[in-house]
Amino acid sequence: MNSLWVLLFWLAVVVVGYWIYARYVGKSVFEVNKDRATPAKMYMDGVDFMPANKNVLYGFQLNSIAGAAPIVGPIVALQWGWVPALLWLGLGVFFIGWLHDFSSAMISVRNDGETFGAISYKLISSRARKILLVFIYFYLLLIAAAFGHVVTSGVSGDATLPLPMLVVIGVAFLVGQMIYKARVNIIATTIIAIALIFFSIWLGTVWSFTFSYTTILVCVLIFGYFSSILPVWRFIQPYNYASVYVVYFGIIAGVLGIIIGHKPMTLPAFTSWSIGMGPLWPILFVTIACGAVSGWHSLVSSTATSRQLENELDVKPVTAGAMFAEFTIAIIAVIVCATAFADKAAYVAKVSNPAGIFVSGLGGAITSLGLSMGYAQALAGCMIIILALTVINLVFRFMKVATAELLGDAIAIAKNPHVATIVALILTFILVKTGSWLYVWVLFGGANQLMASLALLLVTLFLVKQSKNYKIAIYPMFFMYITTVCALFYTAFFKLIPGAFSGQLSGAKIFGNLLSAAFAILLVICALILAYDGWKAFRRYRTGEAVAPPAGAERATA
Amino acid sequence: MADQKDEKKEKNILGGIVGFFRDFTYGMATHGMARHALKTRSSMEHLFILITMGDMLGIPILPPYYSLRLLPHVVPQITTWKRRMLREKDFVESMY
Repeated sequence: MNSLWVLLFWLAVVVVGYWIYARYVGKSVFEVNKDRATPAKMYMDGVDFMPANKNVLYGFQLNSIAGAAPIVGPIVALQWGWVPALLWLGLGVFFIGWLHDFSSAMISVRNDGETFGAISYKLISSRARKILLVFIYFYLLLIAAAFGHVVTSGVSGDATLPLPMLVVIGVAFLVGQMIYKARVNIIATTIIAIALIFFSIWLGTVWSFTFSYTTILVCVLIFGYFSSILPVWRFIQPYNYASVYVVYFGIIAGVLGIIIGHKPMTLPAFTSWSIGMGPLWPILFVTIACGAVSGWHSLVSSTATSRQLENELDVKPVTAGAMFAEFTIAIIAVIVCATAFADKAAYVAKVSNPAGIFVSGLGGAITSLGLSMGYAQALAGCMIIILALTVINLVFRFMKVATAELLGDAIAIAKNPHVATIVALILTFILVKTGSWLYVWVLFGGANQLMASLALLLVTLFLVKQSKNYKIAIYPMFFMYITTVCALFYTAFFKLIPGAFSGQLSGAKIFGNLLSAAFAILLVICALILAYDGWKAFRRYRTGEAVAPPAGAERATA
Repeated sequence: MADQKDEKKEKNILGGIVGFFRDFTYGMATHGMARHALKTRSSMEHLFILITMGDMLGIPILPPYYSLRLLPHVVPQITTWKRRMLREKDFVESMY
């Protein structure tokens, strides 16, 4: 099948989902009202609560939600064939994904801009907040391990990438220095940064280096350490700023490449109901998280975005719009990879290095624009590594704060930023070196999807409490919850633990398998406790029982 | 007349598209930086108010005479300062 038709078909799905289904839910279920004051206006403090233009917020939301996951997930899932991958992406985003992002923002907007921790405390139970924090810590650890491997395997497997990535990191420091210290004009800074990055990508194609996997992994962890320790303005923000333009260019070039090249989909449309990683259900549904539905988005929607919305009408374009844009990125990833490979066995052999697959896929598509294959592939490689590093440069920072929050009261040293970061780095190193990446990816997807189902649980409780049509949230919630719990359970008890005792693995890998299985079981236990408390809360609200908010849950008002 | 109207409409559409991409790019690239700068300023402000108006919280860092002299400059900030200080904060907030 021609890839252009595939792209156009799924763009039509976006149009129907956004303009018909999303409008219906907004109007009929949430009764969106542009005259209702939003938290940004009610509690304007000039910092966290401040109204922002919807187009600005759309860009902010998209930048916050879209990392490398909508590219890597579909690449791994193509092992089942491109039809199952596209179907889950399309149906997932249409019935669950946008709804999840939209409703997460809506319940926060209707709860005075409170975060999920505070809302779960009020709507579910007092222990829900603590469990959510534990859950998020291990979720972050899995993110660090999953993306740590993506960067490491990508850079160590492609000799053209080390030099441009080193330059990108140097450019980030330079941009920070120029903007904040030397006060150079931001346009001049941007032009210099973009020119240096694109030149270094070319330089990488003529001046290449090869490093071992462990060397690159250590470099990635050092990168994570500095991201966590340095002030945000010094490194993280300039890095994200400079990288936006490369990613921008990559996406536009990818779309144009598909339109101009319109190559046929050469990978098999469907391979098998069950592959090495496991059966299509439930494993495919957690392998692709971002692009279809992702719990991470609920954290963004309910924290930063909900406090900046000017009016309720903006919730749909900002949250649902960004989700559909992320879905489009995932569709581009599927198309460029499914048109670049014909041999399924060769594809499966390469799948543990998703950056390598993306380099061949997007690189091939970009050559339709007239760029040389070498430069196009280096550009594609830089794009995915930069995206994955944007995740790495945030995740250790978050883990540092989570450690202080979780253990700070009991163990004073947990509040030390260096100690908390180093502990997170060591855990990540152990998981990357000893774990099997494909299973770590499944666990990361499972944690992500569980987060999504917990967000939908909160939405359901909110709608029940408000006597609104909660069925639009409860069915997706059940689907996501059952699927992800089964996926985590299956991976732990049918893959990781039997693998550890099969006698075919080395000592380190046995440890990695058992450690991964322990994380999976821990996540399932957290999810079961939250579901139990959620069920009790659901029954309370359903029967209309008057519920006193937990002690201390009242908002402090000025 | 009709031509002029059409031209104006076309210009508005073009302006709208350019405006969208300008705002969108700002949101993607710079909005987070602007927010962080505001957060940094607000924490400096908290510190400043704590030092100058510590009396209000029972922490007399500065002699009351100087606090009273500075009070008129701080008055416009007090409402939002109280709001920020008293608001329940969550771990997730440190992320974005």
